[in-house]
Amino acid sequence: MGALDALKGFKVTFKQIFEPRVTSSYPDEKRPKPPRFHGRHVLNRYEDGMEKCIGCELCAGVCPADCIYVRGADNPPDHPVSPGERYGFVYEINYLRCIHCDLCVEACPTQAITESKLFEFSFTDRNDAIYTKAELVVRDDGKPQQLPWEDWREGDDLLTSGWMRATSPAGVADQEGRRHWSGELGYGSRAPERGQSGLDPAEASPSLELRKEEAAKIPVRFGGRAR
Amino acid sequence: MTTPSPSPSPSGAAEVGGGAAQAGASGAAAGDSGAAPQEVTITLDGREVAARPGELLIAAAERAGVYIPRFCYHPRMRQVGMCRMCLVEVKGPRGFSLQPACFQPVANGMEVRTESPAVKKAQDGVLEFLLVNHPLDCPVCDKGGECPLQDQTLTFGPGETRFVEEKRHWSKPIPVSSLVELDRERCIQCDRCTRFAKEVAGDPFITFQGRGDHTEVNTFPDRPFASYFSGNTVQICPVGALTASAYRFKARPWDLEQVESTCTTCALGCRMVVQSSSGEVVRHLGVDDEAVNHSWLCDKGRFAFEASTAPSRRTHPLLRSDARLRPVSWQVALSEVAGRLRAVLATDGPGAVGVLGGARLTNEDAYAWAKLAKAVIGTDSVDAQLDDGLPAELVAGLPPATIADACAAKVLLFLGPDPREELPVLFLRLRGAVRDHGLDLVELSPVDTSLTDLARASLRYRPGQLVDLVRQLLGSLPPANPAVAAARDRLVAGGGEGVVVALGRSSIAESEEQTVAAAGLLRRMLPGATFLPLLRRGNVRGALDAGLAPGLLPGRQRLADGGAFATAWGGLPGAPGRGARALLEAAATGQVRALFLLGADPLSDFPDRSLARRALEAVELVVSVEAHPNASSEHVDVVLPAAAPSERAGTTTNCEGRLSPVGQKVVAPGLAWPDWAIAVELAAALGADLGFASPADIVAERARLAPLFAGVTSAVLAGTVGRMGALLPLRGRGPDGELGEWPAGATGGLERLDPMAVPGIASVESQGAPSEAGVVRAAGPVVAAPVGGRMAAGDDGPAALLSWEPPEALPATPPVDAYSLRLVAARRCYDGGTAVQASPSLAALAASPALRAHPSELERLGVASGTKVAVRAAPGRLELVLEADAGVPKGVAVLGAVPPAADAPGASALVRAGDPVTEIRLETLEAG
Ligand code: SF4
Ligand code: SF4
Ligand code: SF4
Ligand code: SF4
Ligand code: FES
Repeated sequence: MGALDALKGFKVTFKQIFEPRVTSSYPDEKRPKPPRFHGRHVLNRYEDGMEKCIGCELCAGVCPADCIYVRGADNPPDHPVSPGERYGFVYEINYLRCIHCDLCVEACPTQAITESKLFEFSFTDRNDAIYTKAELVVRDDGKPQQLPWEDWREGDDLLTSGWMRATSPAGVADQEGRRHWSGELGYGSRAPERGQSGLDPAEASPSLELRKEEAAKIPVRFGGRAR
Repeated sequence: MTTPSPSPSPSGAAEVGGGAAQAGASGAAAGDSGAAPQEVTITLDGREVAARPGELLIAAAERAGVYIPRFCYHPRMRQVGMCRMCLVEVKGPRGFSLQPACFQPVANGMEVRTESPAVKKAQDGVLEFLLVNHPLDCPVCDKGGECPLQDQTLTFGPGETRFVEEKRHWSKPIPVSSLVELDRERCIQCDRCTRFAKEVAGDPFITFQGRGDHTEVNTFPDRPFASYFSGNTVQICPVGALTASAYRFKARPWDLEQVESTCTTCALGCRMVVQSSSGEVVRHLGVDDEAVNHSWLCDKGRFAFEASTAPSRRTHPLLRSDARLRPVSWQVALSEVAGRLRAVLATDGPGAVGVLGGARLTNEDAYAWAKLAKAVIGTDSVDAQLDDGLPAELVAGLPPATIADACAAKVLLFLGPDPREELPVLFLRLRGAVRDHGLDLVELSPVDTSLTDLARASLRYRPGQLVDLVRQLLGSLPPANPAVAAARDRLVAGGGEGVVVALGRSSIAESEEQTVAAAGLLRRMLPGATFLPLLRRGNVRGALDAGLAPGLLPGRQRLADGGAFATAWGGLPGAPGRGARALLEAAATGQVRALFLLGADPLSDFPDRSLARRALEAVELVVSVEAHPNASSEHVDVVLPAAAPSERAGTTTNCEGRLSPVGQKVVAPGLAWPDWAIAVELAAALGADLGFASPADIVAERARLAPLFAGVTSAVLAGTVGRMGALLPLRGRGPDGELGEWPAGATGGLERLDPMAVPGIASVESQGAPSEAGVVRAAGPVVAAPVGGRMAAGDDGPAALLSWEPPEALPATPPVDAYSLRLVAARRCYDGGTAVQASPSLAALAASPALRAHPSELERLGVASGTKVAVRAAPGRLELVLEADAGVPKGVAVLGAVPPAADAPGASALVRAGDPVTEIRLETLEAG
């Protein structure tokens, strides 16, 4: 066993020294997240400020982790909370249980519930893990509320509205590219994604490009194209 | 199809291996054949299946396990063929053609296809058409998730619509009453609600208006949507067009849990399921029981669950200190009661203690309280009725009739309260019997009732003259008019064989003696007649059977006979105690010093309010075991909070004597306990051990000691038989107490006849979602349940059960005072009772406390209808609004027994306990 043998063992180490660095100094520095990232939920509002949630409990019914609790109630006639007869009068999500599967987002008939890109949760009190309507509903400017223990970064609240759903609203393939969702406070009416069939490219949202750009940064070794 | 077929064979109500027969489809066929005289064979999708002659194709297919989609067909109503959803192909002389399966009776050799391309196309078309104007409110629609329109569209529908035009719009929802909301856009014009209103309830409160695609279902503009049965339309509506305000947006079907239960709002005992969400009861749904309620519920039974979460609900033991009831711990409350009770017992003995009420309790609770009172305290002054019912020995000792017997009677002699007000679903059953097979109903009543229009003869008597009328009917007095003579001839033919007497108190302003004497006459003169007691209050029959009556022990045994109880209970009261009236009289004079109220409210419910007040004021210790405060609460010293219905499990007994389960779905709020536990703890505080750690112990002891309950073990109660409701006593047990053959009529059939009428969990389940396995299931061969059969009284039944000896002497007929009116005081369905008043949806419906009299009486007084007049009677004077009512005969006046407002004067302010009749005089008020 010579000295060289000892160095042989460091072959990988030495090779790695000259490789580009991929480690980022989290949490000071965070990687941008893909547009369809599943993070903390928000409850959206229409452009006129009305809540989109109608308290139908479909999200609660579909949730595999059983973490949503919704109760509906009659809209007060003089100060309706949402359009129509019914509104979500209790809305709670328990983040100790949520697996961010986004089935709730798919189930929602009004695109009321969508997900932002904030995924870091740490709580010092289990009660803090239960987000209520007061915390989930977007602010008057349409942006998600920032709670004291949440570390929001640039772009985490972007692209949280209706079209994030994987399915087209009617669940039918030909409906792809047709806009079925209504405008939202803060984000207005969202365009479908470029690349969907039957779509005028000028009307489409650029997020496909964004996705391509992000994808291009993934190194070959991780299955991407970047060399 | 729905007419009960009297069958001598017990048809073996055996459990069919867990009985998981979905919608009564598969399990039923085997045991049924005996009931049908013959069978026809039809070819259903290439398979030969047996059917009953005359049966509708849709029902025959369902029993053979083929579900034909439908909207308008309801097995309890006449078929109309409105919706065309049930189209199937039936082979005729010119080949197969589409026919509605709900309109087509089966015939031998009929060939039917239910899944052919033509049928599929028809189903697609019908559904696409129904959805043309349908709003698809599913996410906000209370029916969403259990909606037959949703379910059948998914299963049989086209998947897509070609309709792109704007849909029809109407304003919505319209609150048509405080109970029901109507959304006309969702209506698919199936004619179920309107048929129910016309055919079943007989209150035309909802109908179709307009034509073509502008047809809408709506109420009559000039008539209120007022019916005691409107909730049934919500249950049978196949879409969310009719919804209940009490359930509106409370829950979605997938978060409901349910338990089978029995309604204890009145003594009829309708079978139902209790559904809850998040630990709160949100809905009651009627379950189809051939023996009792044919799937219907009244609105009071359906919506009174709201009371259990009312803010006024008792949640903590309360003790009066400084003239106020203050919350204390159970220990403090119990030791206070025990201490003061011991002091009373030490100086005056057990005779100075009384127990009133108990109809709110389950049978097991009542048994525990009977044991506490009779064995531990040692008093026999226990009465579950407040002098407003019938003597317990009469109820238990007359030859019994079931509800089905009453409906199938040769002549039904009805002498009792207006059934629509007091036993609402019994009214539906009787109305159905008159409609379907022309039941010969003879009504004896002091005023017009809901039965007057249905009865073949409705005979009037003035309060106090019932015995005279009965004697005319029995031929011992000359008939007053030809109607009486005609009724007499039908009644007495054949010694009364086939005659059923429905017996109750039509008015609490009369003493019971006339009713008792009438019963005695009928018993003696019509030996073949059987009797259906019409009692007020939920489980009063069960309380009497549990021994909450003076002179009785559990299981319809006399105290004097003692039986196994004398030794097992270690001592019984030496002498028979006082009934409610005697008890209150003794209390008023200081002979009774401690009084337990088991949900009883003597101040509003006892016929004589002033006696009740004097008694409550005089008694030193009043302990109320209650779920809600009531008028008597101001006299109560200690309140022990009790569990309400759906907060404890057990059994209840209806007026026929049918034992059926009450289920627990939620936990009692705060510190409220079930009544049996209160009895056990109170006994412990008195230094005694009742020996019960759970209701199962009570069931076991009762089955061991009381011959009536022999065989009624926890295992039997938990099985199919117990769930279906059983008439006591059980007979034909095997050596190890196992049930073998049951007497005809002993069991009812619990079945989901209409899959769309018990939505909720069943619907969610049928979509494959996991949940508590459907608790409501067809139980065994129920379709042929021999409900028409009658209980053979006493044959091979256990001996030593009570028999009642009718009194020989007839009461004197009180002389008529020409200047007075005779008061008839009866309960109304919606009144001042706690269940109604604490339920927001019902409270608004409570009837006004007006006095009603014949228009000529108003003329005589010279006042218009709606004027306030002074009413004088022996106990005092009242000012009441007087209304004209042509249904009230001359010389009589009608007043509600329990007025909606606690301080409003009710009939009990005018009645003097024990008076044979109540005479009142009306005077105009001085102007100004
Ligand atoms: S993301 Fe999935 S687990 Fe989380 S709330 Fe929605 S449905 Fe439930
Ligand atoms: S978030 Fe959407 S699915 Fe959930 S209750 Fe509200 S409207 Fe219904
Ligand atoms: S009635 Fe049925 S189909 Fe119509 S909106 Fe309601 S749930 Fe949907
Ligand atoms: S309201 Fe309901 S039950 Fe009545 S006709 Fe319309 S769909 Fe049928
Ligand atoms: S037409 Fe047969 S169910 Fe409606």
